[in-house]
Amino acid sequence: MLKLSSISRCFQGVIPSLIASADAHGLPNVTYVSQVYLLDEKHVALSQQFFNKTRRNLAENPHATAEITDPLTLQAYRLRLKFLRSEKSGPLFDTMKLRIQAIASHTGMDGVFRLIAADIFEVLRAEKVEGFLNETDVPNETVSPSGLRTEIRGLQLVSDRINRADDLETLLAATLDALDVYFGMSNTIVLLNDEPTQKLITIACRGYGGGVGAEVAIGEGLIGTAAHERQVLRISGLDECLRYGRAVRRSVMSDGSRVRPEIPLPGLHDAQSALILPLLIEDRLVGILAAESRDAMAFGEWDEAYLGVIANQIALGIDRVIEEDADAGRGFSPPPPTEGRAEATPYVVRARHTLTYFRDDDCVFLNDEYLVRNVPGRILWKLLGEWKRQGRTSFTNRELRMDRALGLPEVKDNLESRLILLKHRLREKCPDVQITPAGRGKFTLDIAAELDLLER
Amino acid sequence: MTTTTGHKLQQWMEGGVSVIVGTADADKVPTCCRAIAITTKDNFETVTVYVPAATGQETIANVATTRRVAIACTIPRSHGSIQIKGISRGVKLASPSDEELVRTRLQQWADALAELGMPRCITQRMTVWPAFAIDVSVEELFDQTPGPKAGQPLAC
Repeated sequence: MLKLSSISRCFQGVIPSLIASADAHGLPNVTYVSQVYLLDEKHVALSQQFFNKTRRNLAENPHATAEITDPLTLQAYRLRLKFLRSEKSGPLFDTMKLRIQAIASHTGMDGVFRLIAADIFEVLRAEKVEGFLNETDVPNETVSPSGLRTEIRGLQLVSDRINRADDLETLLAATLDALDVYFGMSNTIVLLNDEPTQKLITIACRGYGGGVGAEVAIGEGLIGTAAHERQVLRISGLDECLRYGRAVRRSVMSDGSRVRPEIPLPGLHDAQSALILPLLIEDRLVGILAAESRDAMAFGEWDEAYLGVIANQIALGIDRVIEEDADAGRGFSPPPPTEGRAEATPYVVRARHTLTYFRDDDCVFLNDEYLVRNVPGRILWKLLGEWKRQGRTSFTNRELRMDRALGLPEVKDNLESRLILLKHRLREKCPDVQITPAGRGKFTLDIAAELDLLER
Repeated sequence: MTTTTGHKLQQWMEGGVSVIVGTADADKVPTCCRAIAITTKDNFETVTVYVPAATGQETIANVATTRRVAIACTIPRSHGSIQIKGISRGVKLASPSDEELVRTRLQQWADALAELGMPRCITQRMTVWPAFAIDVSVEELFDQTPGPKAGQPLAC
């Protein structure tokens, strides 16, 4: 029999598979299934989302045939199947559930379509569908040993960069840069868990031209679902999956039922595949590492395992630099008001801006345009106030931590990630006001404009 | 079938639609294969489905034995889908006059998949000719679009 592992691409869900079943009288039924899951050389699984005709037929007659397709070559293969059992819990069920739950959540269909059971089949026979394609120009794909060596070398380099990073911003930038350079993952994003708000906040990204500060609610959409379940989510043929979800959505809406709006993808609008990994320290969710690609086959099992190793290191690295930052701040006192006075700064004033803090909305506007809000907004307002009143330009993380008015949590305050977010927002929206690191746990506020501060 | 219903269903007879065929042998063991075209000349009283000869032998053998046929037509972009259940009235090797229809359907299928990212050059490698033409008397029609209404009968 054909080895199922030799046609593993067919099981990634890029091209829907065909499944034929028959009832007790032999009346056939044929339909598509979004993915056939490869379990081992003799078993596959199908997801059961609705109690449909295929499901009723299998209860009467265990025989079925699936036709699966290689998404690169379009070669078809037939699997002669015998239904064994349905599983409604366990690791396989959880893995299949996550993918369906994420797509359902993304398309506003939570609870409408969900995994009812994982149906397990014995593969009696697997065969290539001879004559399906004209046997010309068949792509020949091989893995070169030098490629594997490059990947191992790449892993070493990524680990090295993570270990050497002194601060969170350097750690994340260096990691995403290495993933791009050594592994061609050019669209990556890291979100940190903000426990008090139950949101994930984008803290670093590559390949999107901005996006730092974007938020995802835990439990919503692809990223939010992976975070909530603390499981790796790998989706090939993402566009196909979303079209399936939208078909269900249209079907539900045709009755006049109201459904929640679809959640916009936070990254590429035309992504064909996604790999989303929770950054975990034991059971604690530190954040999410997500990679996207316009190639439907960009991420395989190997990428999942490999990026899993890197995700563990990132999680540990984030924890390390945050702890180090907190430790470094201890013992520092705020500098006296005379240190680093504003008039001593060498900048030439180029412009005049008005910054307004809105107390009710907890946000800061720059010249009538939204700049930043919540904790980063309060931090900015504190810094600007000290600068205006006392002429201070040097600050420490320690004094921010001790200022209860900022509302930082007592434990795991993510101060460094909030400062990164603030720095990015200033860099994008207000280059005349900058935050510059000045050694571990210290930074300066560099102002190159006249500022009017208003509070409403 | 009413003219209005037939008109609504006509979209599944057009190019760019995925057509798959299910049959079962005398031991009630089912199989499936991809078809390349489907037509109706009598408002869904009967349909003719074209199955590539290279890949359809098992299907044809089953049809000859049991006559029972299930056909699913799906629009790839929307996942809109119907299922036709019926009995075969006859199978023949498609005539040369059908070749243009079959080859046009392959082009349209390649166009539909190209919109979803599958290169045309890959899709066009599918073997479609010669083909068998299976004439089917339509007995039942079902909505098969994914969702809670999948499996509901359509007027027939």
